[in-house]
Amino acid sequence: MIDTKAMAYVNMYGVLGTLENLCAIDEEAKKICAQLKKPVSLCFSVKDGPCCTFHFSREGCRMTEGDAGCTCKMNFSAPEKFNALIDAAKPGMPVKNPVQVLTFLLGPFSKLTDRMTRLLRASEEDLTDRAFFEESTILTLYTIAGAISALANQDPISKISASYTVDGDISLGIKDIAAVTIRVKDNHFTTIKEKAADPRAIMEFASIDLAAGLFAGKVSTINEMCKGTIYLRGMISMLDNINRILDRVSVYLA
Amino acid sequence: MSKYPEYRHEKSRAWFDRALNVIPSGVYGHLGPSEGLFLPLEKWPLISARAEGTYFWDMDGNRYLDFMCAYGPNVLGYGDPDVDAAAMEQLKVGNCTTAPSYKMVECAELLVDTVNCADWAFFMKNGTDATTFSILTARAATGRKKTIFLRGYYHGNQPWAMKADYPGILPEEVANNIVVPWFDLQALETAWDQAKGDVAALIAQPYDHGNFFDNRCATPEYWAAVRKFCTDHGIVLVIDDVRAGFRLDLKGSDHYYGFEADIICFCKALANGYNMSAACGKEFLRAAASSLSYTGSYWMSAEPFAACIAAINKMKALDTPALFRKLGIQLTDGFKEAGKRHGFDLVVSGEPALFYLRIANDDSLMLHQEWVAECVSRGLFITSHHNHFLNAAVTQEDIALAVDIADDAFSVVAERHPELGLIK
Repeated sequence: MIDTKAMAYVNMYGVLGTLENLCAIDEEAKKICAQLKKPVSLCFSVKDGPCCTFHFSREGCRMTEGDAGCTCKMNFSAPEKFNALIDAAKPGMPVKNPVQVLTFLLGPFSKLTDRMTRLLRASEEDLTDRAFFEESTILTLYTIAGAISALANQDPISKISASYTVDGDISLGIKDIAAVTIRVKDNHFTTIKEKAADPRAIMEFASIDLAAGLFAGKVSTINEMCKGTIYLRGMISMLDNINRILDRVSVYLA
Repeated sequence: MSKYPEYRHEKSRAWFDRALNVIPSGVYGHLGPSEGLFLPLEKWPLISARAEGTYFWDMDGNRYLDFMCAYGPNVLGYGDPDVDAAAMEQLKVGNCTTAPSYKMVECAELLVDTVNCADWAFFMKNGTDATTFSILTARAATGRKKTIFLRGYYHGNQPWAMKADYPGILPEEVANNIVVPWFDLQALETAWDQAKGDVAALIAQPYDHGNFFDNRCATPEYWAAVRKFCTDHGIVLVIDDVRAGFRLDLKGSDHYYGFEADIICFCKALANGYNMSAACGKEFLRAAASSLSYTGSYWMSAEPFAACIAAINKMKALDTPALFRKLGIQLTDGFKEAGKRHGFDLVVSGEPALFYLRIANDDSLMLHQEWVAECVSRGLFITSHHNHFLNAAVTQEDIALAVDIADDAFSVVAERHPELGLIK
């Protein structure tokens, strides 16, 4: 029950979108960026799918929609082809500045995505390191947050949940650690990777350990709500729908 | 300074923790913290010790004036002496037996005599059983596949009644569901056209009493048009009266709104807490109802039938729908006035017997949730997301107490939020 096009949006906004956060909080990623000789803006353009540009510089990574400002570009003829980049590192067709595309893709980009994969698909051994565990969990929050909006807008089943979600900002976060905003307008979802100023609904996990357990599917959201370890307030119908989309996120990111 | 001290829940919490050890979620579903929206958890009673009339007591001995009525079943008062006596008497002579008790026949006769559209009655245990039976009957009678639902619907927990985004539901299980907005007659015609006539049933509650939003009452004109639409197209009109049944009109909520359902489903208020549900239908559906393979181990147990007969007769004697309307208006007028005194705009919607509340000062329900929590933790049990229920044991003293606690809770929330400038 995975929709290929929706998967491409998850890969773009959820998985690759986390590069922004990786480069902001991970020391190894910061070092990789610091070694860039000049800024690179790499665009991934997927036919019948998403198109985003990742602007890399010594300061970090920033993602924008569309191809404006890109210095190099890679086209994918279908969502499946783009998904193969994520699943099997199969590149698309360079269409702008192919030398820079290949040099960057095989160099810094691969190093960054390898680092991100290690953090997002962490081994049990890596997770015994508390700092690594915390960073992994925070990055997972950002990946999930990006995937929520991607699926709400693209996945046929999640779109049902989105159709029942009223307008407003949803704050989703880990207490005192990290928070993101899911903005809903006319049933369209947008993920903003900062805390909501005036949320209409709030879902906050009491600890990073709880968040990690929930993200890994080791504990039940409903059970934790019943225990009172998940703080909920506001328009709970919005959170009901987010929870249903989260079930879909786990299917897509499994 | 609050007039009503806040309750503490140490013992209830300890019992709840025991429940968590052996039951998924501790208390799942609408009576539990998750679907019941116990926000924040520590303000709510989790496990009860006993109940009487319109009150229940938690494990810490705290008393709650209860306007949720177990989400509906408590219609005459917890432990109503007449209903309980009938049930206990029946238990002495037989309950779950190989040949069903004559009480089943008496109960069916009483329902047929009481419910306006009923030519027959079919018994089961829960609301979901009744709605599922109705859809199966409609499909069997018409030979058609699809069902029309009104947006925001809830007709129980069987896969056919859920949505494709619910955990565990397959898209195939809801592929024959058509959802149209409430009060949109053109949408019904469009749905019919798009389904190319393959519509077995239209199922709806008697008015839009969904959760989280102001409830919207229907009109006789709306239902007359829907009735005509269904009749013209040979669609079975199913009224899910599980929630509102016997609280608006003892003849059925279809009668209250001036039309006749083809099948009407009852559960909550049917037997004052004894476990049974029923679907009542018209003559032309009798053969289809008979054809179903549909039964359960306890569906013909006699004790609930005896309770049901006593409950219906008592509801008739008391004219409970008129009583609930009067109490609902009194209570909600009192709540609104109390809110106004403290700067709150409390919106009351829906039928007075099943009133829905919402503080409209913000659009997030956060203030409303705070007020509800302060009410509950002072002994007035209401909810922030669902319509409420009345029972016949509510007295004028109870109404006065409820309004006083509500007033006190408003004052607590107003004091907590000086930034809102509510206190003049």
